[in-house]
Amino acid sequence: MRKRSSLGDTIVAQATPPGLGAVAVLRLSGPHAIEIAGRLTRRNPAEWADRASRLCALTRPGSDETLDHALVAVYRAPASYTGEDVVEVSTHGGYETPAVALEACVDLGARRARPGEFTQRAYLNGKLDLTQAEAVAGLVAAKAAKGRTVALHQLERGLGERVAALRERLVELSALLVQHIDFPEEDDAPVALGTIASRGRDLAREMALLLATAPAGELLREGALAVLAGRPNSGKSSLFNGLLGVERAIVAGEAGTTRDAVEAVVGIDGFPFRLVDTAGLRNGAGSIEQLGIEVARRYLEEADVVLYCRESGTAPDDEAEGAFVASLSAPVVFVRTKWDLAQAGEAPRADEVAVSVRTGEGLDLLQEALRRLVFRGVVENRNDVPVVTTQRQARDLEAAMGEVEAFCSALEKGVPPEAASAHLKSAETSLEEVLGVVADEDVLDRVFRDFCIGK
Amino acid sequence: MRLRYDVIVVGGGHAGVEAAAASARLGAATVLVTPDLTRIAQMSCNPAIGGVAKGTLAREVGAMGGVMARAADASRIHFRMLNRSKGPAVWGPRAQCDRVRYVVAVRRILDGLSGLDLFQEMVTGLLVDRERRGVPGRVHGVETRGGVTFEGKKVVVTAGTFLRGRLHVGGSAAQGAGRAGEEPSVSFAEALEGHGLRVARFKTGTPPRIDGRTVDYARCRRQDRDEGSDAFRFCSYAREPLLAQLPCWITWTDDGLKEIVTRNLARSALYGGEISGRGPRYCPSIEDKVVRFPDAPRHQVFLEPEGLDTTELYVNGLSTSLPAEVQLEFLRSIPGLEEAKITKPGYAVEYDYFPPHQLRHTLEVRDVPGLYFAGQINGTTGYEEAAGQGVVAGANAALAAQGRASLVVERDQGYMGVLVDDLVTKGVDEPYRLFTSRAEFRLLLRQDNTAGRLGVTAREIGLLTEQQEGVLAERLADESRALTWFRETALPPRTANPVLERAGSAPISEPKRARELLRRPGVGAGALLEAGGRERAPSFGEDVLATVEVDAKYEGYVRREAERAAKLRAQAAFSIPEDAPYCDFVTLSWEAREKLTRVRPASLAQAGRIPGLSPADLQNLVMEVRKLKAEDATVERQPG
Repeated sequence: MRKRSSLGDTIVAQATPPGLGAVAVLRLSGPHAIEIAGRLTRRNPAEWADRASRLCALTRPGSDETLDHALVAVYRAPASYTGEDVVEVSTHGGYETPAVALEACVDLGARRARPGEFTQRAYLNGKLDLTQAEAVAGLVAAKAAKGRTVALHQLERGLGERVAALRERLVELSALLVQHIDFPEEDDAPVALGTIASRGRDLAREMALLLATAPAGELLREGALAVLAGRPNSGKSSLFNGLLGVERAIVAGEAGTTRDAVEAVVGIDGFPFRLVDTAGLRNGAGSIEQLGIEVARRYLEEADVVLYCRESGTAPDDEAEGAFVASLSAPVVFVRTKWDLAQAGEAPRADEVAVSVRTGEGLDLLQEALRRLVFRGVVENRNDVPVVTTQRQARDLEAAMGEVEAFCSALEKGVPPEAASAHLKSAETSLEEVLGVVADEDVLDRVFRDFCIGK
Repeated sequence: MRLRYDVIVVGGGHAGVEAAAASARLGAATVLVTPDLTRIAQMSCNPAIGGVAKGTLAREVGAMGGVMARAADASRIHFRMLNRSKGPAVWGPRAQCDRVRYVVAVRRILDGLSGLDLFQEMVTGLLVDRERRGVPGRVHGVETRGGVTFEGKKVVVTAGTFLRGRLHVGGSAAQGAGRAGEEPSVSFAEALEGHGLRVARFKTGTPPRIDGRTVDYARCRRQDRDEGSDAFRFCSYAREPLLAQLPCWITWTDDGLKEIVTRNLARSALYGGEISGRGPRYCPSIEDKVVRFPDAPRHQVFLEPEGLDTTELYVNGLSTSLPAEVQLEFLRSIPGLEEAKITKPGYAVEYDYFPPHQLRHTLEVRDVPGLYFAGQINGTTGYEEAAGQGVVAGANAALAAQGRASLVVERDQGYMGVLVDDLVTKGVDEPYRLFTSRAEFRLLLRQDNTAGRLGVTAREIGLLTEQQEGVLAERLADESRALTWFRETALPPRTANPVLERAGSAPISEPKRARELLRRPGVGAGALLEAGGRERAPSFGEDVLATVEVDAKYEGYVRREAERAAKLRAQAAFSIPEDAPYCDFVTLSWEAREKLTRVRPASLAQAGRIPGLSPADLQNLVMEVRKLKAEDATVERQPG
């Protein structure tokens, strides 16, 4: 028997981990998955054979802008992972492309999936048994727990407290409205609706402040992209290994050994960095190597910080270096590598860090410089400004803020409080989703704690 | 003596009366047994029905064919629509009633129902079959002190504050009583507890009553009735004649009272430590008010008339368990009451209730099949809350006795549904009272639309009398005629502009539909109807016009709530077996397993409302239940 999902809406998420890879997979699941794919590709996937991939141009909804060329495959219900209609869209990897493609799906009516929601649907539609579902959930949880740095953990707890405080203030607004609605015969004049609206505005502003920390938070969660650059054989791969503490990149004396980018995550004083070793930047390389250099340029465009390496004992090429640095948007740390091989009397420039991976000299200074440059704002406020670290948190907070703003506008336009309060209810739900709690006795608790009410 | 019925209702308060009437209207042979038939449907507290949310509930009871709305109309001596300055979505009808006439009206209504007998006796025991092989025994009747045995399939217990009730007036020893001057029910309480039900204590209080002839009204503010609205009315039509109308009076306490109460706190039964049960926060005693809000300069006091044939006034706002002489002293510190004489001192009463998570949504006790509870025995307070539960319990007892499907009112369908679901899902830790904020669908649950929300359901299951069905049909037809008139009638500028001008709204130059104009702030449905030629338009009642206004003015908000409600109903479709082995659900936290075992939710939606259950717990619950259902299906397919 063909089981139809009763879950109604269509969800979307990136199925591959965020980060740099050749390919990223977006997964759509639900009754409108095929229709959304049709509008995204401007093709007619409803007529395609099951599971056949086709190369399609993805177009931004409402415009003719091409977002990417992607492989699109349709898995019809019930023969799919979730048991619903599923479409998988394989875009180019990295951060930007999958994100805009996902955004486009949302614009076309899909909802961002909550953690574990595909697996949940698979279970509900009888595609997985309980133990399988548990195993999936366990895997996801374990990875998240280990991936957390100490700093991140602290900051997330801080976020929880901050969101709880915002929720508390929302509850207070609701309580003020309840005083208007449920106790019309009390003689203590309730707080004027205009005042309630202006308190709502204050609250929305605070939510905006918290949301403004989202970029820093994402840096913390995903890691800062630190790209090693420099001429061939300038010691990038050795430095990469030195910072990483393991032999990962191939190190050889011949120029052009690293042809593709190598990436690894490293914690520096508790802050996450995604360290990328690129092919040496030089002209006139062979074609495969040229490709690696192209990859390097793409990384450099997205970098949060660039480590520009120059070998000790070589003369600085100030003109070429200057032009390269000027082409970057990210801050640059200049590294004089192989310092143990330095000529007698050689001295690093004032803005250079001298490092020897062989002796370990200077590595600590470099780490300190990296951390300061990228996470300075976060480090300084570490104990008092919690940050939003995930897209989910940002999405829920943004929704809550939007509802609070809508509430204020409604009150200001003369919408009666009992109708306007629907916005507060929605805002509260969104904040509760950040916190993972649901409690609605709180409004009344607040009313009776703060006001002497009742005859 | 041995008597046989389908449904036996124990207790004659607001819950008992509605339960008995609902059961009888459904055609079940019903008896109401209570110790004193002259004291049925007593208003033990203030002589008023309704208020915000509570008034809507009273109308819901009316729409289900119940007694309360009609009896309140028959005895009303002052009627107001609370919240009239706000949107019609939160209007709250409220009536001051003549205490004596209210009881007379209730008795008249009950006597008009065929199939309902009344019997004066104190019930002392419950007849239950013996438990066999873990299957709980069924209820089959009750016994009385005078040796009468009532045999019946279903028993509805509505014992109010009488179960082991103890009365406290400060300064004297507590005495066993269910209400001032009435004896408590002790052996029946013991009988119920004997069936393994968990029992707990609550307290509640009343203020003193005074002789109205001793009040200086010149020092009080007069509050007159609302001319615009004057009745609860069953589905808006069945009219009771208007009696003489009386005003209420308002005055305020000052520092004098604060000083007197503070000085005598140790003599209060509440503060002297004699009472252990918890009282309602929203109906605080004057001791509570003074202690908890020491900075409040004054507290409002309503003087409410007790009836047309008495000069007694109910002093609303001063509930207390201080000694009578202290009550007199603090009363006389209040402006207007300097010469006041007390007719009945205030008192506090402590009583047993059965924590309501032991009930199903039908209000049947889960572990004692055939036994139903309604009213204060479930930890609620308020006449309307009791009446609402009475309808649900009485109707379900009758339906079950007849072997028919049960009646469950949903949360988006009525305050009645919110009330019952809150009780069985969340339980109570203080006497439960309704507020609009308890309803997540406040805009759907209005006083004007009870006919469509509940009247139709009531008609479908046969809960309405023939006359009530006629009234309901008329009311629904009116509503649809009114909605059509506003949707289809275009008003020319000449007719519409005077109305718009009065509302401070911009004039129109082209004809516009009445519904479009009604969307503008300040523009009322009544004024547009009149301008549009009321002689050509049908004449609609106040609640029909309110429905039309809400439909036009808050369309977006109402739709939003309706969508949320639909989502909730989808969740409610995921049912959870009553005997789900929560202890074995290892993927759930211990806390969640414990809470689920206690509440035994019937659906995922209900589980979601249990306080303290995390989204992760709910998700795992879904998985466990699915697994369970799959296993059950396998077992059933296997032979033998």
